Amino acid sequence: MHEQTLSQFGTEIRQFFLISLLNLVFAAIAIAIGVQYIVTAILGQTLDPVIPGFPVIPGMRMLSAAIALCCFGLGIQWILSTVRIFEGVVMIKDDLKKAGGAITDTRLTCLIVRMLAHYRDNRRTIRTMILVCTLGGVCFFVLGMANSLKVLSISSGGFAFTFDNLLLIPAMILTLGISLASLLSSYYFSKFARVWDQRLNAIGRSECTLKQKLGLDET
Amino acid sequence: MSGRRTIYEIYWEILVYCRTPRPFTAIINRCDLNSKTGQEYLEFLAGKGYLQAVTEEGKTRYGSTKEAGEYIALFSSLYQELFDNPPGFRL
Repeated sequence: MHEQTLSQFGTEIRQFFLISLLNLVFAAIAIAIGVQYIVTAILGQTLDPVIPGFPVIPGMRMLSAAIALCCFGLGIQWILSTVRIFEGVVMIKDDLKKAGGAITDTRLTCLIVRMLAHYRDNRRTIRTMILVCTLGGVCFFVLGMANSLKVLSISSGGFAFTFDNLLLIPAMILTLGISLASLLSSYYFSKFARVWDQRLNAIGRSECTLKQKLGLDET
Repeated sequence: MSGRRTIYEIYWEILVYCRTPRPFTAIINRCDLNSKTGQEYLEFLAGKGYLQAVTEEGKTRYGSTKEAGEYIALFSSLYQELFDNPPGFRL
């Protein structure tokens, strides 16, 4: 039982570490892009419309700067939350690595309890991150498309689009890649949360057994 | 250990730590408890016969009894079972 538990727990911790790392990188990129948009909007380096084919609307630049500023603040908050989750996972992962394959039963249970406590502490943050990652993914997808397309025409027979500049294709691929990473991160966070919520429920059920053992069960 | 834990997890942690007899302050520091709740937990465990207070040279130390071993083993098996049954998390 011990080997199977160790293998499953170790794999989950390593994979959750990877997702947290991915999320951290994505949050940093989101901040950088937010800053870039603020600077571009404030300095007025571009007069292009926000949506291709639409006319330039007065005040739109300031509005987009304000939105970018909100995104920047959200990005900072996001990175701080991710760092808190990331730190906890790194500590548990390192302790598991230090213990190696010859880990004792008690040490393994201790790490499981620590991970459960860490999950309980950050449950709400993880829920928020699932939402933020999904929204972020969608926003980056729209941003990537909007900045690269010159004309997009949709008719009953299909749709046609023209790229603004071929040089924008790598930037578009990058933005779409970030969008995909964000959506993947959201998907895996929700998968992780679902599994660990089930475990918390299972612990709730097993508490009856512990209660009986301690002589606290009144029934 | 810190973070949000259930009372049973705290009991387990105290009992595991006290396999070697420990003074009160060491227990509350290690288990991240305040002295009031720490005292309550220790009194409860001592009352159930899972902890034994030993006073030597004016210093009181708490040590786990043989009965505590059963609780520790039951707790470990219940928590490790969580990872034996699907669903598990995979990328």
